[in-house]
Amino acid sequence: MDIVVSVKTNLDLQMIRIKNREPVLEAIPYKTGDLDKNAVEAALQLRDAVGESKVIVLTVAESNRKVRETIKEVLAMGADEAVLIVDPALESTDQAGVARTLAAALQKIGSYDLVLFGEGSSDDYSGQVGPRVAELLGVPQIGYARQITAGGAGVLVERSMDEYIETLEAPLPAVLTVVSEINEPRIPSLMNIMKAGKKPTEEWSLADLGLDPAAVASSCETLSNLAEEQDRKHIMLEGGAAEQAAGLVNALLKEGIVGR
Amino acid sequence: MEKVDCIIVGGGLAGLSAAYGLASEGLEVMVVERGDYSGAKNVTGGRLYLSPIRDIYPELWESAPFERPVTRELVTLMGDGASTTIELASDRFATAPHQSYTVLRARLDQWLADQVMEKGGMVITKNRVDEILMEGDKVIGIRAGGDDIGADVTIIAEGVLGLLSSKVGLREQPTARDHALGYKEILELPSSVIQDRWHLNEGEGAAHLFMGEVTKGMMGGGFLYTNKDSISLGIVVGMEAMRERTEKVESHTLLDAFKELPHIRPLVEGGTLVEYSAHAIPEGGIAKVPKLFGDGYLMVGDAAGLALNALLTVRGMDFAIASGFYAARAVADAKNRGDCSAAGLAQYEQSLRSSFVLKDLETAKEIPHIMENPRLFTHYPQAVSGLLEKLYTIGPHPSQKLSSTVIGGVRKDFMNARTLKELLAMRKI
Amino acid sequence: MNIEAKLGLDVFKIDKERHITIDVEVCNRVCTDKACLYVCPAHLYEIDDQGNNTVNFEGCLECGTCLISCDHQALDWHYPRGEYGVQYRMG
Repeated sequence: MDIVVSVKTNLDLQMIRIKNREPVLEAIPYKTGDLDKNAVEAALQLRDAVGESKVIVLTVAESNRKVRETIKEVLAMGADEAVLIVDPALESTDQAGVARTLAAALQKIGSYDLVLFGEGSSDDYSGQVGPRVAELLGVPQIGYARQITAGGAGVLVERSMDEYIETLEAPLPAVLTVVSEINEPRIPSLMNIMKAGKKPTEEWSLADLGLDPAAVASSCETLSNLAEEQDRKHIMLEGGAAEQAAGLVNALLKEGIVGR
Repeated sequence: MEKVDCIIVGGGLAGLSAAYGLASEGLEVMVVERGDYSGAKNVTGGRLYLSPIRDIYPELWESAPFERPVTRELVTLMGDGASTTIELASDRFATAPHQSYTVLRARLDQWLADQVMEKGGMVITKNRVDEILMEGDKVIGIRAGGDDIGADVTIIAEGVLGLLSSKVGLREQPTARDHALGYKEILELPSSVIQDRWHLNEGEGAAHLFMGEVTKGMMGGGFLYTNKDSISLGIVVGMEAMRERTEKVESHTLLDAFKELPHIRPLVEGGTLVEYSAHAIPEGGIAKVPKLFGDGYLMVGDAAGLALNALLTVRGMDFAIASGFYAARAVADAKNRGDCSAAGLAQYEQSLRSSFVLKDLETAKEIPHIMENPRLFTHYPQAVSGLLEKLYTIGPHPSQKLSSTVIGGVRKDFMNARTLKELLAMRKI
Repeated sequence: MNIEAKLGLDVFKIDKERHITIDVEVCNRVCTDKACLYVCPAHLYEIDDQGNNTVNFEGCLECGTCLISCDHQALDWHYPRGEYGVQYRMG
């Protein structure tokens, strides 16, 4: 079984500070998407369970430097190969552009049985890219996977819905997106990190995929990127501890913070 | 156990400098750094003296992310309610090649890590080394995250606390007597304001040290360095001095009091605080430098106590980079000869002895004793400022002759047996 | 700005595991100085209502001053694991 996992490199959001209500984005370190690591882990487990399989990680970015560490990390986790789509035009793309790029890359890779995504990225969390790729490729898709087993018509997938769990099966090839409860991603060992650089890695440009930069241009324009102005509620609770506690519970209920 | 040529414990300046040298020689090198990136756990005052290390890796420095070359040097002796500032504006310091630069570690160390990786070295971040592995007296590798990894040579660049190396007996645990606490605020200020406030030409920088009242008379001092668009303002205070003071001072309050002083307030006015950081500093001098090498290992940088506080000049990063350089040379030679025993690595200490690293530490060997004298931080700043204050004072009564004021002041504050003895002792520094 | 607000400007990635543990027995039995209370530049040590020494390890700047200043080996102090602890953006 050939499994392709799409991974995204984000800015480490915790490192961003706000200056004059605007985020300072200079020199912010990069970080591999949290759910993408769950997707990689799921792929590795599936590979090892099925046997005769390989895991290819696929990523798109405007520069090699941006994704270097991510690729090293997921290869060190145990993925077999990496394919990087690197093109300066990807600097200002959007979910649709990324999906088009990934779909074209998957077609170039040619043989794939499963394509895994995290259900959303650690920064935008739009959850669009997986479903868009499935549509572009015209293959079945199952979102929010909490368990994946090879079998049935192809794969058996438990989906985590808010109130219930749904079990579906899909023929291959298929696109799946995973939720964090599916597994605990492994932490790569130092030796595996050392060796990760020696694993086969391909780098393609948009031209290699037959894509025009216009095909990935964003259809959205960012007008403003200001931090929300936060205002305190200034609710003072009076009385003894019991009264204050009751008041606090009421206030939290009223704000919809608890008891939804 | 899987094995590499060389493991470096810690990706600060010393470790990265060693890694750069080894990677340039084509050796397989693995730097293990616990921070999210190199520099994430490092703090400097800071200024890097480039002159001593310019010829080490000469190709490197052109692209280094320095903040500003220091062209103005200031020192303030702070008495109680009066302080004296001496300012040196040197044309030589203002002319390239500049002797020193202000720096910020998160930028500098990440840049150096990038240079190491360009040379093919591996810098693995977000991983803590948990143990140094020994076989008898020989260091054979490390344990990290449950994995054991062997190396022909392990370079210990773990920093000032030496937690791992002291645990396996390669050095002593740090003591309060030989260490100071340094901590600082970074305050953002527009570049133009910095230049106006410190009388600097575009791109130039100032370094300002403070002694006396700033530490309430405890061993140490204050510092202010101008970066590109921020200033680093902080305090260094001896750990033992904090404990010996009868009336204890919560360390963090010294910096707040410092900023509130009438002659400091205008310097920090309008600055936006963006980071608060702290680090320990080795101040034991050459007497506290541990054994620098042994079977299968070398010690570099702060982990080896290679730092020098000489009151007007405070150094450590140049020692770190130089020790890393010499460590890399020694390891490369040892690998070529196939002898990574203590004998095979002995060249490391010899080259440190013939370089500025151990020579400067040797020259300064009396400084730690002199600095243990609290009067250096109480009596002298007060006496100098007190005398000048008298000279500048015109009161309601007829003034004394200038010479009588000077002679009287000098006689009272400097011409006594105790002071003369201390001044005599200072000849040694 | 008070010390808590200053620490609020730094990036801390907080581990579930504590990296500083106090042997309160030792503090209570043999330590008269309690240097940790005043040497820590982040002011993390406090005596709680029961009279026991406590530390808010989450705001640790990892300087080690408390460890070095403790004469009684009352602290089990190691660096936080990789991916955790303070991450200086300037340094």
